[in-house]
Amino acid sequence: MTSVKQTGESDRQLLKRYHEGGDPAARELLVERHLPLVRSLARRYAGRGEALEDIEQVGAIGLIKAIDRYELSREVALTTYATPNVVGEIKRHFRDKGWAIRVPRALQELNGKMGPTIERLTSRLGRSPSIAEIAAEFQTSTEQVLEALEAGSAYAPLSLSAGPSGDDELDPMETIGSDDAEYDRTEDRASLEPALAALPEREREILRMRFEDGLTQTQIAERVGISQMHVSRLIRRSLERMRTQLT
Amino acid sequence: MPSDRIELTAPVGQAWEAVIRMVLGGIADRLDLGFDQLDDLQLAVERLLAEGDPQNPITLSFEIHDNGVRTRIGPLRDAALAEALQGPEPPPGVLTLPRILSTVVDSYGVEEVADGKLVVRLEKLVRTQ
Repeated sequence: MTSVKQTGESDRQLLKRYHEGGDPAARELLVERHLPLVRSLARRYAGRGEALEDIEQVGAIGLIKAIDRYELSREVALTTYATPNVVGEIKRHFRDKGWAIRVPRALQELNGKMGPTIERLTSRLGRSPSIAEIAAEFQTSTEQVLEALEAGSAYAPLSLSAGPSGDDELDPMETIGSDDAEYDRTEDRASLEPALAALPEREREILRMRFEDGLTQTQIAERVGISQMHVSRLIRRSLERMRTQLT
Repeated sequence: MPSDRIELTAPVGQAWEAVIRMVLGGIADRLDLGFDQLDDLQLAVERLLAEGDPQNPITLSFEIHDNGVRTRIGPLRDAALAEALQGPEPPPGVLTLPRILSTVVDSYGVEEVADGKLVVRLEKLVRTQ
């Protein structure tokens, strides 16, 4: 078998062979050569409810699409062109298939509209809307609204915008109170503090705003620039993660 | 006027949390709680469900009255946690279960029930405009 590294051909030469000569072997060589890039990008999205191998496979589809769509007139390197394609494919996969359980499409759609509608109603009413008010806005039943909200819980919440490592940097928040000598055993039992440092910075900040500053989810959403429902999901996910880490 | 009461016993585990959240949703609808209040109450209940004993079922009771809902959850698997919930406020800047509960419900406490088992009581009041 020909080793990819031993072909001696550059990406550009292989792309020419594939696009101008229709040589499928050249395409295969390009895919094989750039699979480490796919693996590296896929690792960023590991631990979010999908097996790494599955994410790699999805990323590989993005790579193949990039190779197929590459225009030889471009002066850009294949890796530069392929990276956003691979990441885009992975993100699409999570967006479309990130439901932990099978949820009817109608409920998925209603859930998708829920966040903006709740925000709009909150702004209009000057307070968080009731279930009945949300139902009236959608011209549906309160049961449907509750089911759609619950359908959102079936979705594996993803912080796709969070970087793979940059968010793990330490910040002063994580040291607050951690050296309190008066902490006794029972207080330790209820403390989530030791796991706080492992959270991405944005999520630590959201927890601080909610539980330290006492801001409402709506206020946090305004400050951070995300929806209230997203704030809710991030808080839940963070607390669950911290608890899992401590048990 | 006597309060309506719902009691539910469920296995501990995330598989059944959806059922419990739906019950809470129905109660919130009946009380006309805001979405944020429902979300807070669900969060409090989820946190306590996570402290149940996975080997034994957990019981939740909801007393629905005009002013809000009183929820009892238990038994807890760890007496130390119950002690912590009855202890003093944690120092500022320290994230603890008591701090989370005091943020998301109007009040909470620990009660001893039959056989010395401990349950947590949560009070969520209807917000008056």
